[in-house]
Amino acid sequence: MTLRSIDRVVVHVRVLAVAVALGGGSLHAQGMSGLAQSLLPADQAFRLSARALDASTLEARYDIADGYYLYRDKLAFRTDPVTAGAPSLPAGARKHDAFFGDVDTYRGEVVVRIPLEKRAAGEKVTLHADSQGCADVGVCYPPNPQQLTLTVPQTRYPGPYVEPGHKGWFK
Amino acid sequence: MVQVTAPVDPAHRPSRRTWVIGGVAAAAALAVGAGTAWYRLQPRATADGSAILGLVLPDADGKQQAVGQWRGKVLVVNFWATWCAPCREEMPRFVAAQARDAAKGVQFVGIAVDDAAKVRSFSDELGLNYPSLIGGYGAIELSRTLGNDLAALPFTVILGRDGKVALTHLGPLSDDKLDSVLGRLTRA
Repeated sequence: MTLRSIDRVVVHVRVLAVAVALGGGSLHAQGMSGLAQSLLPADQAFRLSARALDASTLEARYDIADGYYLYRDKLAFRTDPVTAGAPSLPAGARKHDAFFGDVDTYRGEVVVRIPLEKRAAGEKVTLHADSQGCADVGVCYPPNPQQLTLTVPQTRYPGPYVEPGHKGWFK
Repeated sequence: MVQVTAPVDPAHRPSRRTWVIGGVAAAAALAVGAGTAWYRLQPRATADGSAILGLVLPDADGKQQAVGQWRGKVLVVNFWATWCAPCREEMPRFVAAQARDAAKGVQFVGIAVDDAAKVRSFSDELGLNYPSLIGGYGAIELSRTLGNDLAALPFTVILGRDGKVALTHLGPLSDDKLDSVLGRLTRA
């Protein structure tokens, strides 16, 4: 499977997910606002994936749907059994919050490097990722803890992207 | 059923039993599918609001409050959190509506998906004139049972004097919608 075909699969999965979300929502039309039907579930609004960049570095990414954003200070990552050091979070867009002051937010995508505290070539590592975000239409999702397990490659090449609930594209 | 006229090796012809089992399985699958669709199309079983009226939660000062004490009022239950900016933005309008409609028997109650210290801090800042109970993340699950499938905030449920759910609404509630529902329920 080439990377391009994986992308295509991902796009198809997304289209399907939106269709399912819309279809499911329409069944709940009774008494619920229209907003509930057009919104994505958090896992689809903020799609987590991760891969091993090398034997001692993970890369987590969130693909954020248009009209949604994540809070920088609500992102948290830990790994086991090999533990992780502090992740390097890119600067976000500054947003003023009347209660919390200035906060950084991410839109589109955010890619985070997570250093492992020791080399883990060939080992399985579980990544626990917490995130919290909102939609521009005026709703916020509660903190969303997710996890995924990936195998750190023995080679010097990055491993494949893994998503929560998947064993990985190649397994 | 189609009659098989050409000579067929009996070993390879699907037996009547296979057809029957297949038919039963197909019928069962259809029934399950139809049942699921029927279930999903039904109004929520909690339409009588008992899940809310039976709640007992601490307020921001730690005092236990039974939601049932407001039975008989037009009850506006707003699930919110300090980490939800759109929730905070609509609350000044709820404060105004509470002041305006209290005499008509309207009672707002917040259920915060949050901790008490943050709720106290924000309530003081806003001058909240109605109770906000501390539901923690468990309140998200409660809101799911009321139809908040996305578990997002703000989520507002309005009960009539009869304790029946008159409205469930995800996202900011416009003044127009709030006023029209409260107007209808307070006249009822």
